[in-house]
Amino acid sequence: MEWSGLGSVGSISAFWSQLVVIINHFKKLLSGKSLLISLPYLWLILLVAIPLLIVLKISLSDMGPTSVTDVLSWSQGWPTIKINFSSYLFLASDQLYIDTYLSSIKYALLTTLICLVVGFPFAYFMARAPKYLQPMLLMLIMLPFWTSFLLRIYAWKTLLVSNGIINNALLSLGVINQPLAIMNNSFSLVLGMVYSYLPFMILPLYANLSKLDLRFLEAAADLGANAFKTFWLVTVPLSKAGIIAGSMLVFIPAVGEYVIPELLGGSDTLMIGRVLWDEFFANNDWPMASAVAVVMMLLILLPMSLLSRYQSEQAESKL
Amino acid sequence: MATEPKPNKVKTDLLRVEGVTKIFDGVIKAVDDVSLTVAQGEIFALLGGSGCGKSTLLRLLAGFEVPTKGRIFLAGQDITDLPPYQRPINMMFQSYALFPHLTVWQNIAFGLQRDHMPKAQIAERVESMLKLIQLTSFAQRKPHQLSGGQQQRVALARSLAKQPKLLLLDEPLGALDKKLREKTQVELVGIIEEVGVTCVLVTHDQEEAMTMASTIAVMHEGTILQTGTPDEVYERPNSRQVAEFIGDVNIFEGQIETYAADHVRIRSEVCVHYLMHGISGHVGLSVVVAVRPEKIVLSKKRPAGEVNWCVGEVVALVYFGDHTIYHIQLANAQVIKAQQMNRTTDLAEAITSGDRVYASWSGLALVVLVQ
Repeated sequence: MEWSGLGSVGSISAFWSQLVVIINHFKKLLSGKSLLISLPYLWLILLVAIPLLIVLKISLSDMGPTSVTDVLSWSQGWPTIKINFSSYLFLASDQLYIDTYLSSIKYALLTTLICLVVGFPFAYFMARAPKYLQPMLLMLIMLPFWTSFLLRIYAWKTLLVSNGIINNALLSLGVINQPLAIMNNSFSLVLGMVYSYLPFMILPLYANLSKLDLRFLEAAADLGANAFKTFWLVTVPLSKAGIIAGSMLVFIPAVGEYVIPELLGGSDTLMIGRVLWDEFFANNDWPMASAVAVVMMLLILLPMSLLSRYQSEQAESKL
Repeated sequence: MATEPKPNKVKTDLLRVEGVTKIFDGVIKAVDDVSLTVAQGEIFALLGGSGCGKSTLLRLLAGFEVPTKGRIFLAGQDITDLPPYQRPINMMFQSYALFPHLTVWQNIAFGLQRDHMPKAQIAERVESMLKLIQLTSFAQRKPHQLSGGQQQRVALARSLAKQPKLLLLDEPLGALDKKLREKTQVELVGIIEEVGVTCVLVTHDQEEAMTMASTIAVMHEGTILQTGTPDEVYERPNSRQVAEFIGDVNIFEGQIETYAADHVRIRSEVCVHYLMHGISGHVGLSVVVAVRPEKIVLSKKRPAGEVNWCVGEVVALVYFGDHTIYHIQLANAQVIKAQQMNRTTDLAEAITSGDRVYASWSGLALVVLVQ
């Protein structure tokens, strides 16, 4: 072949320079810093994003007799996409699902609120404790994590059942005549959730409150605010970031919680995690189960993204 | 208000501190039996190095600490046991402690809202405060959007908004850079005098205390060493510690040689001091003679007479432009400092390192202190 004029030489050199640019770009990507950053992202893509897409795909397909039909099929060499919204439509029309979502959110909110009310003073006094005591107090918060979560929930069961430790003790003391109904109802459910998620509320609150400048509290007192007013007008607003972080860390896993409602909840304490389990393993309806999961995620993601947008706006206004 | 006498004319005591002691953790005496009075309309400075107890004393006045012993009276009322939020005292905090989540307006209004003042009145007061500190257009900003000097003014406005009987200032200029300090200092005193509020300020910076305060109390290790006007404390220190803390000073140790009602001769190792006024003492008493560097005159020629001069070699000099500080080593290896104004542009005539110079001073430039 012959070289046909300058034009193609030009285009070849242009191609080469393009290639160099692309290679350099990749080199940059592979430099230590981006490699370090990309590893966790790669991990997340492989183990979170892709599985989520698969779940989304399943939720939009049909349940065949033995397996899930594929959304994408090939007919006469052409790809066809068959999307089936029936799971979602059923979800929206069946009052049971709607009630379950609402009750999941209700219990999660209740758990978050109780964790906040219990955890705030705890974190506050921990942050005010003498410096040498703080590592130990922090350890005590973490201590439950050294035992299996499942075991700890089972332990609650033995405490709460009708002939459990609490009821037996109260009966023998004569405080009550018949066992308290404190098991397999909303009480035991919320108790278990508060118990399990309390550390997730305390830790971010503690991190936040330990950085709180005490001079702000003195300034408030100096200007005539009593202890309650100082707390409400200065401490709480200044620890907002900790309150939000803690609430998120409790609320999000609490909405989808499965183990605690399964072990400590009753027949009337509907939680979406249990429905999900039933759809997958009892009814074997994968598309339905996937749809339930997708909707649950949207329910959590939506308020969270709104919140994070609000927070980034706040952060920007501070610059 | 018009009938009220100007506060600086009638000198009534506003604050009285009686034998206040504060002991931390059972052993650390932060404030040791301090008594003081602050007159109405006065700017009173507590001056001392770090750890001298001045900040603790201020916190005792604000009510953040409770004295171990002693009483505090404000306008005749015993306030020792009142919590901070019930005291008619406001404080401007070191580095201000402005509420970061509130705007300038809300910061200034904070104290007024706690008093349940009617809304319209709060707005009026805040506006007048903003006008006073000339930050009216910054009312809706958050503290972090202000410069250091502006934050300082907001902090002042916040502490003045409730019209306290006593204003406490904790290192009021400490967070500002040197250039801004002088300007702010003048503004601050201007505002305080305009409002006519009595002030207690705490500082480690003697210049700040000198220029702002009408009375200075020099503190050391929890006690007050001397209380007086700035010039009294500077020119007539009552102890070596005060002399050494306030400004630079050259110390000569010696004994009284002749003692008379109108003059005193003191012999020290390197020279004889002749004092042109009487002091309390007796012949043979060991004393220290303090001479400030700016009161020393340097010359290459031997001064007339036999007293109030010494001779030595310039071992170092620190040039400031308008003045130079010379370090002169005397025969006994003691190094004294002498400050000379640079009055000519003639560099050839200037005293330089290695020169043998005579340092002399007037018989009225000395302070004699008992060891």
